[in-house]
Amino acid sequence: MFYVSMFFQYVSQYMKTRLQYRADFFMEILSDLLNQVVNLVFILVVFGHTQFLSGWSREEIIFIYGFFLIPFALFSAFFNIWDFNDRYIVKGEMDRILTRPIHSLFQVILERIELESLFGVVTGLIIIFYSGASLNLELTWYDPILFILFAIGGALAYAAIFVVIASIGFWSDAKTSIMPMMYNIGNYGRYPVDIYNKVIRFVLTWVLPFAFVGVYPASYFLRKEEWYAYAFATPVIGVVFFMISVVIWNQGVKRYRGAGN
Amino acid sequence: MSDAIQVKQLRKEFKSASSRSGLKGAFRDLLTRNYKIVPAVNDINFTVKKGEMVAYIGENGAGKSTTIKMLTGILEPTAGEITVNGMNPHREREKFTQTIGVVFGQRSQLWWDIAVQESFRLLKKVYKVTDEQYNDHMEHVIKTLDIGPLLDKPVRKLSLGQRMRCELAAALIHNPPLLFLDEPTIGLDVLVKLKIREFLKEINEKYNTTILLTTHDLGDIEALCERVIMLDEGKIIYDGELQSLKDNWAEEKQIHFQFIEQVALHEVQSLPLPFDVNWVCDEKSQTYIALLKEESDHISQLVSAVVAHFKIKDIKIHETSIEEIVRNIYEEGTV
Repeated sequence: MFYVSMFFQYVSQYMKTRLQYRADFFMEILSDLLNQVVNLVFILVVFGHTQFLSGWSREEIIFIYGFFLIPFALFSAFFNIWDFNDRYIVKGEMDRILTRPIHSLFQVILERIELESLFGVVTGLIIIFYSGASLNLELTWYDPILFILFAIGGALAYAAIFVVIASIGFWSDAKTSIMPMMYNIGNYGRYPVDIYNKVIRFVLTWVLPFAFVGVYPASYFLRKEEWYAYAFATPVIGVVFFMISVVIWNQGVKRYRGAGN
Repeated sequence: MSDAIQVKQLRKEFKSASSRSGLKGAFRDLLTRNYKIVPAVNDINFTVKKGEMVAYIGENGAGKSTTIKMLTGILEPTAGEITVNGMNPHREREKFTQTIGVVFGQRSQLWWDIAVQESFRLLKKVYKVTDEQYNDHMEHVIKTLDIGPLLDKPVRKLSLGQRMRCELAAALIHNPPLLFLDEPTIGLDVLVKLKIREFLKEINEKYNTTILLTTHDLGDIEALCERVIMLDEGKIIYDGELQSLKDNWAEEKQIHFQFIEQVALHEVQSLPLPFDVNWVCDEKSQTYIALLKEESDHISQLVSAVVAHFKIKDIKIHETSIEEIVRNIYEEGTV
């Protein structure tokens, strides 16, 4: 309960900071919206030329892509920790975090929220409805609930991977280029996994579970019954991987060496 | 429990990679690293009673910050036991931090872009402080530190002195029984320093707050602390009263004289005095420095003798700084 109220406290703090720079605020919203429009056009143009991809139709691929954008937007809004190593470990900001009575990961996440990224949810929904309409997908009453669960599960799976990578900073203070690489690998989850070979498919499912961010949960809504087991596993995978990542983070905090003054 | 801090055989080691020389060495480093284990804090013991104000001093790199970071739960010790406020700081971190206040002089606790009072408001929620407690306590803090007019300004627009006073207030929002201050007066002007010292003395008296501070400023220690713990290369080399430390190690006073007319060194040396004075001449600024033992009325005798013989432009009495005391101790070995 305390953590929920702290979440809203930090969100309101964030809004205040944003409103401090009014011009900046509007410019940013504008550029975010523009970014999403470019994204949308890009998808339609690129996929305009493909027809089928190992058994998936063009609309289905667009649908998966659109679905992916939603957990990805949740992830980007709340887990903006790609510069954790520089900002918190090298500069020693972690010292401050550790002297406050809230879990350290929770504080770091709250300090770094970027709610503008939630516009991605809108783009994702537009794409889903557009492609869903041309596929004549039918909705049941519980689909929206599953949709939310799957989106959160996917976002958690995505977040887990990045929390683990951020934790590496506790063990080695050398700069790593793993973060940008992960963002690239993360994009593989946007496409049907059966177009990849077995090894990659295994990695994307069980090691770096990016497939649970896009293709697996989306296949439920596309009524691809052969993937249902994976689709329903999404929230479980998300929670389990996220819990593992928090354990690794906690281990890392014990190793934290601090920065010299 | 009358002890705020108990430290037993505390040790912290850092592993640091040492690189070999040359290109060949660099390649070898790639495969196997040479690690050196460096103890930053080396088996130290001390206790601090509730309500005590203790200065923790030493040269840069002596292990002060490392100790403070272990005491505040930021770092985990390699070995040894720490009990602060009856808890293990690192293991019970979240509960423990509720009972301490921390100010790092070189790092801000406040949010850069928002008004000070917004930072306070958020910290108040973080520490679960009720409105009554907050009003009761903070109204006084804000008044004493004179930061009322700064509350609606964003932190980035404050001067260092203004910011430091706000930092101090922020660390006290939950009225902790124990306060850690790492270089709280670094880079501040005299007036702000005085205000901060006065304030710390006041909360110590009012709430019996235990204060542990590190500083390079002898003035801070003299104004606040009766007890000094001195650290060198990770070991405690002195733990006791400030006065006896000064008596033993700051025995020499320096008095700087500047004369209106040219004076030769042998002239000042031949002044009739019943005790030894060591004269040093600084040619460039035409300043003569008298080094003498601080005993009874030696200083007044010296000054009156000098005044009687020469016309003086300027006179300064120089107090030994902590660095000099440390250097003295260091040169002669143990305390």
